[in-house]
Amino acid sequence: MGIILAMSWRNIWRNKVRSVIIIASVTFGLFAGLFVLGLYEGMMDSRVRTVIDTEVAHLQMHHPHFEDDYEPGFVLPAKNKLTESILKNAHVKTMTTRSVVQGMLANATGTAGVQINGIEMTKESLVSHLGDNIIDGKGLSENRKNSILVGKKLVDKLKLRVGSKVILTFTDKESNIVSAAFRIEGIFQTDNTPRDERNVFVHQTTLNSNLSIGDDVHEIAVLLYKDDDVEAVTKQLQEEFPEVKVESWTDNSPETELMVSTVNQYSYIIMVIIMFALAFGIINTMLMAVLERTREIGMLGALGMNHKKLFVLVLMETILLTIAGAPIGLLISWLVIQYFGKVGIDISSFAGEAMSSFGYSSIVYPEFPASRMLGIIIIVVGTALVSSLFPSIKALKLQPADALRQ
Amino acid sequence: MKTVIDAHNVCKTFNPDTIPVYAVKNVHLHLERGEFTALVGPSGSGKTTLLNLIGGLDKPDKGEILIDGVNITALSPNELIDFRLHNIGFVFQSFNLVPVLTARENVELIMQLQNKKRVDIEKRVFGLFQQIELKDKMDVRPSQLSGGQQQRIAVARALASKPQFVLADEPTANLDSKSAANLLDIMAKLNQEENITFIFSTHDARVIERARRVVTLVDGQIFSDTARVETETEHSGLASRN
Repeated sequence: MGIILAMSWRNIWRNKVRSVIIIASVTFGLFAGLFVLGLYEGMMDSRVRTVIDTEVAHLQMHHPHFEDDYEPGFVLPAKNKLTESILKNAHVKTMTTRSVVQGMLANATGTAGVQINGIEMTKESLVSHLGDNIIDGKGLSENRKNSILVGKKLVDKLKLRVGSKVILTFTDKESNIVSAAFRIEGIFQTDNTPRDERNVFVHQTTLNSNLSIGDDVHEIAVLLYKDDDVEAVTKQLQEEFPEVKVESWTDNSPETELMVSTVNQYSYIIMVIIMFALAFGIINTMLMAVLERTREIGMLGALGMNHKKLFVLVLMETILLTIAGAPIGLLISWLVIQYFGKVGIDISSFAGEAMSSFGYSSIVYPEFPASRMLGIIIIVVGTALVSSLFPSIKALKLQPADALRQ
Repeated sequence: MKTVIDAHNVCKTFNPDTIPVYAVKNVHLHLERGEFTALVGPSGSGKTTLLNLIGGLDKPDKGEILIDGVNITALSPNELIDFRLHNIGFVFQSFNLVPVLTARENVELIMQLQNKKRVDIEKRVFGLFQQIELKDKMDVRPSQLSGGQQQRIAVARALASKPQFVLADEPTANLDSKSAANLLDIMAKLNQEENITFIFSTHDARVIERARRVVTLVDGQIFSDTARVETETEHSGLASRN
């Protein structure tokens, strides 16, 4: 087998220009595929980070019936015991509590349905980075009980600004309709425009007093040190507090998890399409190589090289030709993705609004898809194998006597 | 003497459905071990076709060919490949060495295909290069060798597997006089000293002169089959077999 491998490798370099073109094609194809994968990986990772760091945190805890109709009466049972236990958990980085009610925001221009979140500004900023996302004004200050933070999208829609007065209307614990006036203290903007439009933030004490729920809350959001601990901590807390509903970010944002897995599959499909197109170039090259060497292949058959070894000879040539470009493609992809992973790719000029409508950042930081290397290697080797079949079969069909006559 | 090749009533026709060409017609040929035979005849007389049939590269339409008692016309394609590998050595007109392999690797190739042990391969290859007097060219590629040297490597390759016989199709056609004489000297020496059977197809008077048996083909049929009688004092003269 050693001499067949040597022949295969040396045969590749009989026509250097042709082989270099194919190797360059594989290199570029692999780079293109990996870069697309890297972009998707970066986008998905960014989306997951946005979901965890600004939207739903790693875990959320609610009364089991709260999310059915967002009834203000379904507050978290044993809040103090819960928070105490959560803070003692070694995996927990930080947590915050929220009072939540669905309501209506109105001003002279119009109205909008919103989710009113009663928060403790400092703790909330540690969990959802709300303070970091304020683009105008400031966070909720302790001395102004009726201040409110509104999203940029809602501000634009209702022609609001910092200092504008708005009326929030909602039902309290006893189903009484409550209206209260608030003054905009800050405007926030995240990567998720629909969420910015749908959520407003007020002081928890103010909301709780309007809801008549004392110091109870509806939601606890927990941020962990590591994403990988989510499942274990969720299970642990659920076992410890069966009377509350503990949900991980994948439960609270199932569309994100679905999107990540769908995009993973799509990126493999793109990779397969790129390599499939490349396969035609490889087949063409190898067919030329076989047809140019008809006499030589006939001679090898005449001397006694059997079909299996002849097949392996052409197969090895194709595989070596294909995988020769793979390390170069991987290296270039790694270097380019590392670079753009640091500086980012700003796509705001042509897709910024569309991206934020779906909750994605308009600056994409590609990530080298290291976790998918096995799949990529399988695709590259598969391409080589598929590409080698036709030329190999062509070589096997050559009859030694006919080939030697040429 | 042991019979090596026994061909009975062998026929081969090309283009049987369009314009049939009767390349070989009812050929009977019997060769024994140690023969140094030339197949001669004008172009198109069927020399190469007969050589291909004997070498198992083509199948006859009719008749049978026995090599060392084995009917090769009844073998399957895969069995035939294996039979060629172990029993028949080939030397082609245009050398046909593998250009990407060195001279040594070209000779080793056959033994590697036979899965011989490395130590046996090295011993045999070294011996063969000594016999063809090209020990100093073992590690060069064919493109760096002259035509005569390449053909000597081809002879070494043909002998590497210790075949029953060597088929040489116009081996001197592309060689100058000196190289041809040198090649024939080597083959004659191998024939005489190691009793290796050689069968040539040739037009070349130099080969015919050295052959101990000359089979003449005309229009695919054996026209004459003559053997040279060697005397103690003379190495020429032909005696008719038929």
